[in-house]
Order: sequence, then C-alpha cells, then structure tokens
Amino acid sequence: MAKILVVDDDPDMVLAARLCLERAGHQVVEAKNGDEGLAKVKSDEPDLIILDVMMNTTTEGFQVAHKLRSPDPKSEYAVYKDIPIVLLTAIHSTSPVRLAPEKDYLPVDAFIDKPIDPDKLVEEVEKLIKK
Amino acid sequence: MTGSPNPASLFETAQRFFDAAYWASLLKSDIVGNSLRLILTRWVAGIMVLAATAVCIHILMLPLPASQLYIIGVVILIYNIPLTWSVLRIRELDEPEREVRIRRLVTIQVVLDWVSMSFFVHLTGGISSPAIPFFLIHMLMVTILLPGQSPYIYLASGIGALGLVAVLEQTGILPHYTVIPGLPSSLHTNLLYIAAQMVFISTAAFATVYLVSNIVSRLRIRERQIATLLQTSQAVSSTLSLQEVMDRLAHNAAGALSMPGASIRLLDESGRQLRMAASYGLSRSYMDKGVVDLSRSRVDQEALEGHWVIIDDVTADLRLQYPQQVLEEGIRSMMVAPIIGQSGALGILRVYSHQPGAFDDEEAAFVMAIAQQGASALENALAHDALRKADQERAEFVRIVTHELRSPVTGAQSLLRTLIRGMAGDLSETQQDILSRIERRLDVLINLINDLLDLAASKTTMIKEVVEPLPLQPVVRQVIETLSTQADEKHIDVQYDAPDEELIVTAGPDGLARIFENLIGNAIKYTPNGGSVRVTVEKASAGVIITIADTGIGIPQDDLPNLWNEFFRARNARESQIMGTGLGLSIVKRLVERYKGTISVCSDEGKGTEFSVRLPANHPAEPHKHEE
Repeated sequence: MAKILVVDDDPDMVLAARLCLERAGHQVVEAKNGDEGLAKVKSDEPDLIILDVMMNTTTEGFQVAHKLRSPDPKSEYAVYKDIPIVLLTAIHSTSPVRLAPEKDYLPVDAFIDKPIDPDKLVEEVEKLIKK
Repeated sequence: MTGSPNPASLFETAQRFFDAAYWASLLKSDIVGNSLRLILTRWVAGIMVLAATAVCIHILMLPLPASQLYIIGVVILIYNIPLTWSVLRIRELDEPEREVRIRRLVTIQVVLDWVSMSFFVHLTGGISSPAIPFFLIHMLMVTILLPGQSPYIYLASGIGALGLVAVLEQTGILPHYTVIPGLPSSLHTNLLYIAAQMVFISTAAFATVYLVSNIVSRLRIRERQIATLLQTSQAVSSTLSLQEVMDRLAHNAAGALSMPGASIRLLDESGRQLRMAASYGLSRSYMDKGVVDLSRSRVDQEALEGHWVIIDDVTADLRLQYPQQVLEEGIRSMMVAPIIGQSGALGILRVYSHQPGAFDDEEAAFVMAIAQQGASALENALAHDALRKADQERAEFVRIVTHELRSPVTGAQSLLRTLIRGMAGDLSETQQDILSRIERRLDVLINLINDLLDLAASKTTMIKEVVEPLPLQPVVRQVIETLSTQADEKHIDVQYDAPDEELIVTAGPDGLARIFENLIGNAIKYTPNGGSVRVTVEKASAGVIITIADTGIGIPQDDLPNLWNEFFRARNARESQIMGTGLGLSIVKRLVERYKGTISVCSDEGKGTEFSVRLPANHPAEPHKHEE
C-alpha cells in the first residue's frame, strides 16, 4: 500500500484516479492546484505524485515538477526530489514520438494519457513504487 | 582555373581575340570595359605613331628623328601586349580583388603612357610639337576611367612632364628637333612662347578634366540610382514579409543617395499617427522617440498630400514635431517622401543627412520613385500579413474550443472506465452493455476532437515547428513499431522495405511522424483481418518516394477527388463499422505540402489502396561536377 498524491483541477479526473488506485489498495491524497499540491507534498509526504499538465495555466504541472526536482540542494523541496512523478497529459495516445521522460527536459518519470485507462494507471504506478 | 598560363588557355585567349561577341560582352562591364577601351585605343595609337612617322618622313619629307619615333611606336605596341593579357586575366577574378587589381593596372597604364607621350612630344618638337593635342585626348580617357580627384593628380603630373621636356630642351640638356621647317629654330628657347603654350595647354586640360569629371560623376550617380531602383523592385517583389520589404526600402533609399540614415513610418488605423516601422542607420533612442502625431508634424502632413518635402536646415524649420531629438541624432537636413498605394496613403519614407542642404530636387525625385515602388509591395505584404493573422486567430480559436471540449469528455471517459471495470460496484449485464455503448460513442467523440486539434495545430503551432533536415527511415520505422499492436490484433502483415542509405528530408519530426501515422494507421484500419500492408521507401531523382499499399476495402472512384477535404469520408468507409472523422487525410496533405512535397493516391475498390508521398530530398552536396 502506498500513499499517492493526485494533483488535478478536474474533480472527475481525481475521482477516476481515486477509484482505480483505492481499488488496488492504495491511499489517495487530493490537491486542486499546483500550490495546494506542493503544500500536500510537505504535509503528507506521498510515495508518488500524479500531476496534471494543464491546470489553471498550460504549464502549471511542469512548474510543480520543476520545483520538486530542482537541482538546487538548498531548495525547500530538496528532500522530496526522489518521489516518482507521473504526468497526466492531454497529448493523445496515437502519437509515438512526442514526449519522452527525459530528466533534463521534463523532470518526470512517466506519462499517462487522458482519458485514464485504469489498468495502465495502476500498472505504471506500481512499477514506479517498486523501484 | 590555374594560376599560371598554359598553352591551352593561351590558345583560348588568342581565339577569343577574334570573337566580336566576346569583346562586346567585355565592353559592357563598366570597369573592365573602360580599361579595355584604353587598351584598344593604345593599339590604334601605336599603329598611328608608326604610320604618321612614315607619312611625315617619306611623303611630307619632315626632318624627324625617324628611328626613335619608330622605336616609340613599337614600344607602345609591345607594352600593350602584357597589359591586354592582364586585363583579360583580371576579368576572371571576383570582386573586390578585381576592382583593386584593375585600378592598379590603370595607374600602370597611365604612367607608361605619360612616359611614352613625353618622349613622343620631345621627338616631335617639344613645346612646339603639333602632337600636343594628343595630351588632351589622354587626359579625357583618364578622367572617364578614374573616379574622384585622381584625374587632377594625373593632370598635374602630365603638365609637369611636358614642362620638364620644355625646360630640358630650353636649357640644352636635351636636343631639340624642329619638325616644321618654317618655324624659327630658336622657338623652343623663347620663354614667352614656352609660358604661353604651357598656360593654354594647362587651362584647356584643366577645363576638360573639370567638365568631363562632373558629367561622369553625375552619370555614375544615375547609374547607381537605376541599379538601386532595379534592385529594390526585385527585392521587394520577391518577398511577402512586411518587415523585410520595409527594411530593404529604407536601406536602399539611404544607400543609393549615400546618406547615413533613412526610416519608414506607417500610418496607424486612425490615420492620425505615424509609427516607426523600419529604419536604417538610426540610433535606438531616436527610433524610440515616440509616435509622430500628424497634426503636430507639418512636414508629414505636406508629404502625405502627395509630394516630397525637403528640409534644408532642421534648426531653422518649424515643421518638425521632435526638433530637439533630430538635432541630437546629428541630423542637419532631411527629405520626406509619401508612400501612397492604391488604397491611399500608407506612410512616409524619410532620408537623413548630417550636412545641411544635402538634398536637391533630383535626389528627392529618386526617393519618390523608391517610395512609389515600395508602395505596391508594401500593400501586398500588408494584405498578406492581415490574412495570416486572421488565419492564425481562427486556428487559435479552434484550438481553445477543442481543448475545452476535450477536458469534459476525457473526464467522463475516465469515470466511465472505472464504472465498466466494476471499480464502483458490480453491474448487471444490461447496465454493462449500456455503459459500453456510451463508451464507444465517447471514443468517437474524442477521436473527432483529437483530429480537430491536429487540424488546428497544423494551421497554428506547427507553423512554428522547426523544419530541419532529418533522416526519414527512423521516423517511418518508429511509426510502424507503434502501430504493430493494432496490426497484430488484426493479423495484418506489415512489410517494410527501405534502402540502407540514409535518406534526409526537410521536415518537422512531429509532422513527419503524423503523416505516416495517419497513412499507415488508415491502411491497417481499412484492411480486413489477415490482409497485408506494404510500406516502401525509395530514392527518386529529386527526392524520396514513400509508398503505402494495402489490400483493404479500397476507395470508390467517385470519392477520390474529395478525399482530401476536411470531414470527407468515402462511402464504403462510412458504411463500414470503422470509426473515423474524415480529417486525417486533410491533415496529411497539409503537412506534405508544408514540406514542399506531393501526395497521390490510386485505388481499386474492394482490392486495395496505394498512397505515394514524394518529399524533396536534402542532399548534402551533389557531387555532380566531375573535373577531368
């Protein structure tokens, strides 16, 4: 069982993720935006973060990821930089050569397309937690 | 081209010598042509010296020093040979070396000519020589050939050489030849005669140089202006970018008049203000001085009525809105020409000078001509700009709308999937069936939205997509790999055939992948279970051809012409249970055309379809030239 933080401004998407993950036996913490997400990282210290790319702004998800993975050792999130991050993207699944999780470019560990495929989500999450 | 002359090139040069068209082509190019004229004249001059000497001695029986004069004639002809050779060699060089070398050659020619001319004058009677008028002809040639002040230097040295001959003969250091028998033999010692001759010759030579150099320099300016005008018309008609058109106009206007600065201001929508749109040679602070308010700038008001305005002295003119900034920029005089298109006044073209009174009517008329030429190009570019902006705004609107459509649908889909998977409790068979039907309808909807997003992207964001040379095969291979799951599900055999040689095309990576995703994806989608899809990459004469052939349901002949239209789907595709939006192929076509390629299709209904994409290849450097 792991504690998973889901950061998304779409409550339906959060509910869908919660249903999938709780069914698989995980605990879900929710946040409605980037700031709330960062606050929950500190307060709840999750095992994994699922982050929506586009919230209020088109890059809010990226910004949160960059803050969490800041290379600066004095960063207030330095202790959390090993928490795996899964990015929820709106880029559709038929595109093979678009976003790839490169550490320098986008500091995330995996991408999951919307709409959420329950099996894929659980599979990806458990793969990353085991690492 | 090799550095040293070899027999073959000597022979070629000799051959060209008798080719009239070759000479005509040489004479056309200004600087080389002028040098050649001088050389051709010298061939004539050398022969004339020989002939005139013969006539004077044998027919007129004049007491001339025959052998020396013959020697001079021969010497002139001899030194003209290497000069001819050099000028032909220099002609092959590129600017600016050609210019430097030809100027040096002209100087050498002039010095050699002065020396031989001095001897010739000396041998034909010194200060009383009847050959002195040749001196003027030579001066004329030099003035036409050389720019600026250099003809005056040659004039002074020529007069000096003549004076030296006269003085040396007068003092008896050099012998004097009396060539006209009737003339008094002591004439060359008569100081008054020498002084009178020198004064008249110098005055005539000076007047000649002065008049001719004035005319020649005017002609040179004209020539540059005509060239600029021609260049402007070519340059502005070859581009549709508004900024580029204006930059070139400003640059050319200043350049052609050798002025330090120029600017273009365009009228805003209200028609009351002029905004800086392009400039040349102006400081940033001057350009940022603010918009020109037409009601406060009389000079621009006057110009926009349709004629040019010259301000000879900016300190004494009250028609400027920013006199202080103009002075700080070092501008002392300026001219303003209106830019008036078919739809009315568009703006103004200003040219600046650091000197007061730098513009005359002739120059103003020239700037007017540039402004007029620019007006139509500017109008085209403005129209093109407006169209592109409208197109982008529309596409951006589509993109936002589709994104707003996507979010609720993906939210609904995500929830629905949890329901179907029983994550929110068990479902009856009927409930399961109803939810599956809803899921299928939502899938159709999301596909449509995705394609709409792509279409919008192909009109907006992908315009910014970097188009670069990239290897083709890895992209095609990657797409086939991604689609292999779909192909395997239907037991479709996807064959791939490509040459080992890396083929480079100029495209954007995302767009290129999108083309093949759509074409190969379609081939798999519309081919029944157990069929096959063949993807072939071939090198063609001017590019690459990628063929995607399937054994699918095919496209009815009647539907082929509409295949590329947005939302069009062929009859048999609509009747099949296969999902589709009719946007894929229109996106493909748009992308192929962006990469300067073409796409064609042939199909046999019920048997299969073949799409051919031809993309221009990006060869590093074609080793076409084989030098033997």
